[in-house]
Amino acid sequence: MNVASIQSIASASAEWLQNQWTGRPHFGIVLGTGAGEVARAIVAEKVFPYRDIPNFPVSTAIGHAGKLVCGKLAGVNVVAMQGRFHLYEGYSVELATLGIRVMHQLGIKKLFVSNAAGGINPNFVSGDIMMIDSHLDLMFRRAQPTNFWNFERTTGLRSDQAYDQPMMEQAAACARRNNFALHRGVYVGMLGPNYETRAEYRYLRRLGGDTVGMSTIPEVCVATELGIRVLGLSIVTNVAKPDSLDPTSGEEVVAFADIAAPKLRTIIEDAVSRN
Amino acid sequence: MLELFDKIQETTAFIRSKWSQVPKAGIILGTGLGPLVKKIDVEAAIDYGDIPNFLKSTALSHRGRLVCGKLNGLPIMAMEGRQHLYEGYPLKYITFPVRVMKALGADLLVVSNACGGMNPYYKCGDIMLIEDHINLLGDNPLIGINDDRLGPRFPDMSEPYCHKLIDRALSIARAKDIVAHKGVFVAVSGPNLETRAEYRFLRTIGADVVGMSTVPEVIVAVHSGMRVVGFSIVTDMCFPDSLKPADPHEIVKIANAAEPKLTELVLGVLEGEK
Repeated sequence: MNVASIQSIASASAEWLQNQWTGRPHFGIVLGTGAGEVARAIVAEKVFPYRDIPNFPVSTAIGHAGKLVCGKLAGVNVVAMQGRFHLYEGYSVELATLGIRVMHQLGIKKLFVSNAAGGINPNFVSGDIMMIDSHLDLMFRRAQPTNFWNFERTTGLRSDQAYDQPMMEQAAACARRNNFALHRGVYVGMLGPNYETRAEYRYLRRLGGDTVGMSTIPEVCVATELGIRVLGLSIVTNVAKPDSLDPTSGEEVVAFADIAAPKLRTIIEDAVSRN
Repeated sequence: MLELFDKIQETTAFIRSKWSQVPKAGIILGTGLGPLVKKIDVEAAIDYGDIPNFLKSTALSHRGRLVCGKLNGLPIMAMEGRQHLYEGYPLKYITFPVRVMKALGADLLVVSNACGGMNPYYKCGDIMLIEDHINLLGDNPLIGINDDRLGPRFPDMSEPYCHKLIDRALSIARAKDIVAHKGVFVAVSGPNLETRAEYRFLRTIGADVVGMSTVPEVIVAVHSGMRVVGFSIVTDMCFPDSLKPADPHEIVKIANAAEPKLTELVLGVLEGEK
């Protein structure tokens, strides 16, 4: 799939959406595991199940509803992907990131991406949130480079360049005002779908990772290419202590994500209302 | 992954038509470790080529035969030779036999491999019980839509290798005066051996031995809810600052020489399963 064809696929989806919803969103939101509360805070004008949107794949992960919510958050037009596509579900990088291209076509300039992640920094506590300052891509998957990357636009860009420092400063100030911990660190992207072994947690910590998950990086790479500014938020759903590791379950991850959801909502609402 | 379920039924039915026992354990024999099958009272031996949905083994010293029978009176099925990512096969088919073992009734997987030793306290010919692993294959057998009939979407990996079985194997090793370690196996795709810089990297990230197999089968066994015990035979020493070229035939020779020790430990572990 080359860049022209993936862009035309995205354009077709965006055109269909614009015929149903005429709002021009400035912000896009990708809601990860358990972050449904943010979606509920949106005054929805239109909700599109992914299966109704032309060309959209259907999300298969637990905790992911799989719909595009269009409406107003704190009075501002936003478009939110409730449920995302993961590489472990078998999607190509191009298809897994189609939603970012579609939201770009709808007009977004800034993007919030959230994910549920394992904490490998021992100072983190389950239910904490970490702003992604940079990432380590250990997903071993690439889009077709010669066709997919638009070299003219991306030459010289690092893939983590989209993480926006002013958005991070603003979010940190918001967390202080609201009296909750907001960390800043490095997100490691793994292919999954199994959780990490103890030996893998030790390895990722040694590499400099603070949280580890199975998403976000492909989306941020596309956002970088498209010039979208990103605030990445990792919800720490379980702190991995490799020397006394307890089993991790998908259900537990969703439960801790729910604890962090109000904080996530506060940060995003604050950022949206200041623009 | 959704196509696997029906294929498992097909293969299971085929094997049942040749062998009616319920296996207690499945055994995968790696490079140079095939001779263990001599200890099996063979009741059925089927070439992979004759089994529906099985892949052929193309690697050196991998016979490519499924041997069903009794090991010390315990019904087991053993794969004489396995498939590797470097042979170009997709991981979900490389690991397919593990799903068949589970479907036939085995709840224990015994895996073995020949590996490169990076821990300086290890010696050529030593056995290492795999305590944990690092997956650097860049791939995973569970990619795709999960089939909940086969296992959970996100399998936990806090104890992929059963600690009770590791302890059992180590105590047998002590009793039989066999040198056995406990350490971390890192899987890389290969097929080239590692550079000196890569050995330093793998050692730095916490691995004791390196190989090109085993991890996919273990991930699928954990996904299926099987217990796992893994044996690595150190067949060449990989010290980056005094590295000698590896000779695959020498590796097979050393694995063959170490195989009786492996057999002792496998028999001992299975004894506890009776």
